Amino acid sequence: MTRALTRNAFSREAMAHLDHLHRVAVHLVKELQEADDLVQETYARALGSYEQFAPGSNLKAWLTRILYNFFFDNYHIKRRWVSVDDSSAEKNEPDYWEKVPAENPGPESHLLLKELSTKISDALRKIPEEFRLPITLVDMGDFSYAEAAEILSCPIGTVRSRLSRGRRLLFNQLKEYVATEEKKRAKQ
Amino acid sequence: MKCEDARELITALVDEELSEAERFSIEGHLKDCLRCRFVYEEEQALKREIRAAGFRLSASPELRSKILSDRRIFPRPERSSGSWTERILPAWPFLRPALVLALGVLIILPLFHLMRTPSEPISLAALEIQKKIIGGEMSVRKTSNLDELRKWQIRAVNGEFAPVAYDLSSMNVQPVGGVVQEVNGRKMLVTVYAGKGLSFTCFTFLGTEEDAPKIASIFIDPDKKMKFYSFSKDGFSAVLHREGKVICILVSNMSGDELLALVRAKVQPS
Repeated sequence: MTRALTRNAFSREAMAHLDHLHRVAVHLVKELQEADDLVQETYARALGSYEQFAPGSNLKAWLTRILYNFFFDNYHIKRRWVSVDDSSAEKNEPDYWEKVPAENPGPESHLLLKELSTKISDALRKIPEEFRLPITLVDMGDFSYAEAAEILSCPIGTVRSRLSRGRRLLFNQLKEYVATEEKKRAKQ
Repeated sequence: MKCEDARELITALVDEELSEAERFSIEGHLKDCLRCRFVYEEEQALKREIRAAGFRLSASPELRSKILSDRRIFPRPERSSGSWTERILPAWPFLRPALVLALGVLIILPLFHLMRTPSEPISLAALEIQKKIIGGEMSVRKTSNLDELRKWQIRAVNGEFAPVAYDLSSMNVQPVGGVVQEVNGRKMLVTVYAGKGLSFTCFTFLGTEEDAPKIASIFIDPDKKMKFYSFSKDGFSAVLHREGKVICILVSNMSGDELLALVRAKVQPS
């Protein structure tokens, strides 16, 4: 009886992280349906082994780790997302971005926020996975470098260097839309 | 320090992930290097936008209900193998009259409830008010001066509470007026915003999350530790949240998902 209640309480607490898991999933796989399946399987796996979760530890990180491992085991090799040649981004950033068509900024409208979000998500999906994942975890998921490193099973220094390079790739794609203090001053 | 060596330190400075020594070193470099200061500003701005884009991205109601109905995740409670009479009737015979009395109360109470004139939940009444304002059936005090409107509304409720205000200027949406309405004996402060084909009406009143309608979908924001109730009716979307003792409902002609994302991005925990 106590066990069932604990499981239910765990399920409810885990559901509070649905939006976060969805955010990570949509930046891991190509199709929205695949992302939804990935999140649903994550919950099924998490609930299957909820007894392994240490109460008081970071549930959000634990769930994200399960999601990432499931993705890596089931999607990564078969359906790896490659919109451009990853290696060109490694060797030569400008060449890499020449292959990605820059979209027109368009007039400002009431849908500006939505538009910007879509552009950020699109640009994020176009950069290689090794850069995309740390950005998704640290910038969207609010994870520390140490937590992101644990989820991705890599050293903290790797998270830092990939974040740095990934953000540069993203900024080059989004610079027209990102309002820096310098741009705000120039407008005034 | 060379600029290329500064890149990763700038990233970690933006993320507040530097040791004291590293921070000292990069801050020294930024004082002298205009180019790297720009890079730092760019990375800060980019991080801010990515984070905001993340907040605007939420799981669909379909995914939520798929997970909630997945029996691997939320299994049905197990039933005992006894007959239905064994499960329903208490084992001790002297408890049976109490059970009959309880069943009687359970049957009679809903009948009394049905005989009463149903009153509309305050949250759904807000949508009706929105419809009347848009249709011109209800007049509002026209003003673009939010401060003046706010003072007038606070006076109307004897200073008991203040209207929740939204800054929607980044969407070219401005306050255009307001009104004070009474629904089921409770006063509601109503502020109307408009611009660029969008309309928003913010309803503030004293209440609890119990005021959310039963049809609302509940979204829990673990970062803000807040609950948001999303519902819609007659082509209008609404999102309800609580700020201390007041309830705020933002109603709009935006889609439900967009409105929820907007409210979640704008609202800060009280």
